[in-house]
Amino acid sequence: MFFALTDDQREFGTAVTTYLAERFDLEAVRGVVEDPAGDGNPAALWKAAAEQGWLAVTVPEEHDGLGLGLIEAQVIARSLGAGVAPGPWRGTVLAAEAIRLAGSPEQQAAWLPKLASGEAVGAFSLRANRTAVEYATVADVVVLRDGDGLVLVERGGFSTEPVGSYDGTTRLAAVHAEKGEALPGGAAALAELTARATVLVASDLAGVAREAITRTVAYDREREQFGVPVGSFQAIKHALADLHVGVTMAEHAVLYAAHAVDTGADGADLAVAVAKAKASDAALAATAAMIQYHGGIGYTWEHEAHLFYKRAKRLVGQYGDADAQRERIATLTIG
Amino acid sequence: MDLTYTEAEEEFRRELRTWLGANIPDEWTRPGFWEALGDDESFRVRRDWERDKALAGFAGIEWPTEFGGRGGTPGMKAIYDEETVRAHAPRTVNPLGLAFLAPTVMAIGSDAQKKEIVGPLLRNEVIWCQGFSEPGAGSDLAALATKGVRDGDDFVVNGQKVWTTNAVHGDKIFTMVRTEPGSQRHRGISMLLIDMHQDGVDARPLKQMSGASEFGEVFFDDARVAATDVLGEIGDGWRTAMLLLSFERGASGIGQYTEFRRQYDEIVEVARTLGRDTDPVIRGRLAKVLTELECLRLHAMHVLTQVEQGRDLGFEASMTKLQWSETFQDLWEVHDDVLGEDATLDSLGDLDLRPLHAQAMWSRSVTIWGGSSQVQRTITAERVLGLPR
Repeated sequence: MFFALTDDQREFGTAVTTYLAERFDLEAVRGVVEDPAGDGNPAALWKAAAEQGWLAVTVPEEHDGLGLGLIEAQVIARSLGAGVAPGPWRGTVLAAEAIRLAGSPEQQAAWLPKLASGEAVGAFSLRANRTAVEYATVADVVVLRDGDGLVLVERGGFSTEPVGSYDGTTRLAAVHAEKGEALPGGAAALAELTARATVLVASDLAGVAREAITRTVAYDREREQFGVPVGSFQAIKHALADLHVGVTMAEHAVLYAAHAVDTGADGADLAVAVAKAKASDAALAATAAMIQYHGGIGYTWEHEAHLFYKRAKRLVGQYGDADAQRERIATLTIG
Repeated sequence: MDLTYTEAEEEFRRELRTWLGANIPDEWTRPGFWEALGDDESFRVRRDWERDKALAGFAGIEWPTEFGGRGGTPGMKAIYDEETVRAHAPRTVNPLGLAFLAPTVMAIGSDAQKKEIVGPLLRNEVIWCQGFSEPGAGSDLAALATKGVRDGDDFVVNGQKVWTTNAVHGDKIFTMVRTEPGSQRHRGISMLLIDMHQDGVDARPLKQMSGASEFGEVFFDDARVAATDVLGEIGDGWRTAMLLLSFERGASGIGQYTEFRRQYDEIVEVARTLGRDTDPVIRGRLAKVLTELECLRLHAMHVLTQVEQGRDLGFEASMTKLQWSETFQDLWEVHDDVLGEDATLDSLGDLDLRPLHAQAMWSRSVTIWGGSSQVQRTITAERVLGLPR
């Protein structure tokens, strides 16, 4: 029995966390948030993602990728979530996953090496109305839902219309595609792609949630009221303890879901729904608590709590919110 | 990631399954069988069965063979927990002895204690009780007042313990006793191993809200115990107790998951029977519990992994306790929600609800005993998160 990350897998997360701490901290994130007209894709961060293999993680080796699994990808997603990092990482990885799973050999040869190297930016959406697609504005290639299947559209074949969002750690746009080419295996791959996308979002949420707790604990150890640290009050201790348990369970659930999808395990559908439901609830609770247990300062624009809260708010709705996941769980276990 | 067991572990599973299949009568698997039997008869039947199981080699799974254990792996213990639940094996009659006393004796007991305590415990020749809580010392164990006064080679013990599991069936009791007159809090306490079959010890049953009497109270009135019958050093009982409680490990979470998941499936069946399985509120409540149950299963796998890797789990046991006990309680809340206004009835049509009610009532206790949820949250906040005391 080994239900844990290997040292190599853990290393991906450490690399992302270290890079963000040293080179793209919350001040840098704030720079993106406070420049809503900017493209939200800082060049240095994108370069790091390319050079360090964060984009190549799931691309097969024959297409210049690392040939690793969703397990490794979710490690990266979690660290990016913890850093509330902007940028089209997830869209690029998922566009590549769609092409890997559903594309023709020609489509794979044309796009996978470029997406793995960061030469091309990808965007990905399964929403039928093609609105609020992450980073479509900077994408070289978008993979979109087209009826029961998927369509691939190159830059020049689509136009974008920015959509504002109070989550400033991303950029969203409606996509209008004039022409495109079908991914031949699109319909068959839809379920697995949905699962993979859901796990990556759940993992980002788990990262957001863990960081929200860590920062809140650090603050409440120092902040004094009534002559003592507010973290010594039992009302706060018990709430943070429950959040710690909840986030830990979400981390377990995301890890298992990634493994189950990678291995095609029985019950992978259930595992994904459990992971997204739990991570969504944990992230909302942890980021709301982050505001509350910082007191008034937590409600200010200057404080970072709202960056975490708003990112969580946006991501919990992606690929089905907690209630939608629970209905899925009910369908799978009750009928 | 490797979520499989080794071939040796799977072989153990097959052997155990075969033995359980041949040694558990069908009627034992019927809902309500044990409740209908009554506390005393249930205890007697289970005590004998568990002894036979030990003699067949299916006890002390992960204990060293020199102590009469099987010398198995942590994975085998997890398999044991899972398979015994799956087969509807009866609950152990020696839970405190097996989980806490024996590992502590193996760790710090004298050679004589290792020989005299562990083997007989494993074969149910001696049923052990735990004498920790008192009327004035529940969550605050260090407030205990039971006194032991030295008299020649003995201690003479006076005081009262309460919430003692199996009090009326117990043979011996490992007891936290204040042996230094006037000592305060954690100091001056010894863990004495007291024979319950003497005039100075009186055990009485306590009737629980479920109607059962699994626990009781124990009165010491000039009870005698040899000064050599101490586990650890005299006056160092607090350290012994902390070591003892540290053996509460989450690996059994796999057994708990198996049990609770079966109960979840039973509750779903009740919902179907009543046509409540299409109610969106009930579906959402059930799914939320199932989410927590799955998390419990994964957490148990995580704990097993850490144990196999030889890592110290620190205070993670508090998280394990919170996750299983709160989830179990919520599971039975959902059961009542499914029944709606008929939740308190003894039966509904052909459906006998009393065995289900017994579980629902029991669920109110699990967030209290073994360290209440409030105590576990405080431990988690202070020892894991590092919040100030």
